[in-house]
Amino acid sequence: MSVPIELRDVSHFYSPGTAMQVAAIKNISLTIEEGEFVGIIGHTGSGKSTLISHFNGLLKPSKGTVLVDGEDISQSKEVLRAARFKVGLCFQYPEAQLFEETVAKDIAFGPKNMKLPEDEIARRVAEAAKYVGLRPEMLDKSPFDLSGGEKRRAAIAGVMAMEPKVLVLDEPAAGLDPRGKKEIHELIRNYRSRTGSTVVLVSHSMEDIANLADRVIVMNHGEIAMNGTVDEVFSHASDLQTMGLNVPEITRVFTALHDKGFDVPPNIYSVKEGVRILRALLEGGVG
Amino acid sequence: MVKDITFGQYYPSKSALHNMDARMKLVLTFAMIVCIFLCHNFFSLGVMALFTVIAVIFSRVPVKMLLKSIKPVLVILIFTAVLNIFYTKGGETYFTLFNKISITEKGVNTAVFTMIRIVVLVVLSSLLTYTTTPTMLTDALERLLSPLKVFHIKVHTLAMMMTLALRFIPTLIEEIDRIMNAQKARGADLETGGLIKRAKALIPIFIPLMVSSFRRAYELAFAMTCRCYTGGDGRTRMKQMKLGYRDFIALLICLISLAGIIVLNRFFIKII
Amino acid sequence: MEKLIEIKNLTYTYEPDEEGQTGYTAVKNVSLDINKGEFVAVLGHNGSGKSTLAKLMNAIFEPTEGTVTVKGIPSVSEENGDRIRRIVGMVFQNPDNQIVATIVEDDVAFGPENLGVEPAEIRRRVDEALKTVNMYEHREREPHRLSGGQKQRVAIAGVLAMRTECMILDEPTAMLDPKGRQEVINTVLRLNKEQGMTVVLITHFMEEAVLADRVLIMDGGSVISQGTPREIFSKPGFLREHGLDVPQSTELCLELGIEDCVLTVDECVEKLSLMMGGAV
Repeated sequence: MSVPIELRDVSHFYSPGTAMQVAAIKNISLTIEEGEFVGIIGHTGSGKSTLISHFNGLLKPSKGTVLVDGEDISQSKEVLRAARFKVGLCFQYPEAQLFEETVAKDIAFGPKNMKLPEDEIARRVAEAAKYVGLRPEMLDKSPFDLSGGEKRRAAIAGVMAMEPKVLVLDEPAAGLDPRGKKEIHELIRNYRSRTGSTVVLVSHSMEDIANLADRVIVMNHGEIAMNGTVDEVFSHASDLQTMGLNVPEITRVFTALHDKGFDVPPNIYSVKEGVRILRALLEGGVG
Repeated sequence: MVKDITFGQYYPSKSALHNMDARMKLVLTFAMIVCIFLCHNFFSLGVMALFTVIAVIFSRVPVKMLLKSIKPVLVILIFTAVLNIFYTKGGETYFTLFNKISITEKGVNTAVFTMIRIVVLVVLSSLLTYTTTPTMLTDALERLLSPLKVFHIKVHTLAMMMTLALRFIPTLIEEIDRIMNAQKARGADLETGGLIKRAKALIPIFIPLMVSSFRRAYELAFAMTCRCYTGGDGRTRMKQMKLGYRDFIALLICLISLAGIIVLNRFFIKII
Repeated sequence: MEKLIEIKNLTYTYEPDEEGQTGYTAVKNVSLDINKGEFVAVLGHNGSGKSTLAKLMNAIFEPTEGTVTVKGIPSVSEENGDRIRRIVGMVFQNPDNQIVATIVEDDVAFGPENLGVEPAEIRRRVDEALKTVNMYEHREREPHRLSGGQKQRVAIAGVLAMRTECMILDEPTAMLDPKGRQEVINTVLRLNKEQGMTVVLITHFMEEAVLADRVLIMDGGSVISQGTPREIFSKPGFLREHGLDVPQSTELCLELGIEDCVLTVDECVEKLSLMMGGAV
């Protein structure tokens, strides 16, 4: 079976051929495997956005090849168009894309562009709305009458309704309050467990990446600086810090304790896990 | 990147031209552009070209940047040159094809003449925007037009609107880019189809743009109120406009150029 | 302690149809004081009334009921509003929608220009303000070429140049990346500690609220709790109920039954090290 996304030695230059030529990303080779949950981290300007815009062919590589589902997307317009639907890209602040009279019509925009039959579109709209937790009565409202968090979820549903093989989300929780953030993460998890589809998540929040992703790609100066499991990547705390990144707060606590010589693992990513380990240790110490 | 499209392409420097009073710069640029059209032969045009070269030197704007500003008008430049070469007749004939298409002395002269004119025009006007910030420019315009207040024209409001437009053009370009990408990612087809289909395809871009622009305007109004903006009355300016020795030297140079143009126009035959 | 802003029984109801809101009461019967030199953080989920409260504090909105008084000036008329805004400045969430000029220093000058300050004095204030927020070397750049954090610092400089006594920041870091957030928060903290600027910071980030002298929790238009960060963050259940959260270090220690509330990673590590002293 072919991999959903593969990049072979991809570079992208802005203002190519001029003195101001800047490489936004250079010599990137990577694969996103079927069913994986990949997190991408990197500070602003590290090339994350440029990178994900190559996944569905919104940007064309200056050098190298992008394969979606095993096919070079530069070979024809049809393949490129198919890639748009196979890789669902949801940008930062996606509520900016809402434009239709009703939420349902807006969610249907993608499926309609896929030229699907009416009943299939209706099914997908209902399904996507369910994934993001929009109640059926909300579908007939104007998207502009929704609350901030609801708008965000409606916009994400608009991408999910294309039923892409890979869902790529760029900072889906940016600017939301803690409850809104939690809801977004919940719905991503929910979507994945129900559809089993591949997800790529770009985030500034190390806590979220640690909790959601299987594999982490670290971008720095347009190149892949690290690519490995959550454990592998977050064990390089000092390297991450020099790149303007960090490790989750709870991991910082455990790494510090570990470094002080306490018998705790440094790779702890959730408070629950941390509490369990420390409790066992403290009770054992007393007994 | 779309972000690189600069509007009112200012080039920061401390050159003599940068330090001139924006009002004087505006008036003189306008006057000298009129002068370009007073030139009737290569000698007077030469004065104009010389003036431009001097201005460029005193602006310390790299020639490369000026060439960049000529690039967009290159097509017009070539088009007018070709048109002039083939359609203006007179003087010695250099070349004839099929008894119909011919290139004459007058044709070549006019072509070269027009090209120089356009280049000088573009360079002079872009020098103004390279050496003057958009704020200074609108400020200068506001002050130059302030006598119009007598006719109850709200000059300050107009100038403020211009400043805000200049400020928000790059932001809106970025926004359009973002919205277009988001809709393309949902399979929006903006490139193919007939006129009506394409116009329809713009709706998903136009509506979000309107919505966000209204929101921006609303928030901006709050932000301006918070900073005690109540219109033009009682406002002062950080950057004062004062005519200095530089401005009078510039004025003098312009007057000399004008005199040169008039004299040379008289002494040599008219080409155009 | 000198009171800078006094709020008594404040209620604000949006006019029907304004912004699609139909007679919505965003702030309900709020009474509180902001003291001079204080750093107050306001927490609350979206729609809890924080932003409306902010707009009432610098007289952009006039109270439907109750009073807002800034240094003895009640926010009841347009004229008083103008006087209040000379004392209380504001920084908004979206950096793009509050910068008015095409050059950084011109934007910082906008406020003092509106106040009718002498040109030479404006120049002095602008340079000083830009130096304070570490943006002096960028003074001739175009705002749209700056990073989000830099834009927000320009906006802060714009308030500083007006020489206000109080600065209200309405989610100034919501749209920034971690680096930009750090830049802005460090700047705000420095202004408060070194220049005695009174700060009201509305935020969603618990790690920012931790830095304040006092934290207010808002929900449903009312202030439902207030206290020092330690007092507030020792109640994670209560915070979650109102759509908020606590920092991970705080939660860890609370779960382990550590009595005094810790707020930072360092404090947490120190406390745990002490506890486990024997477990090495």
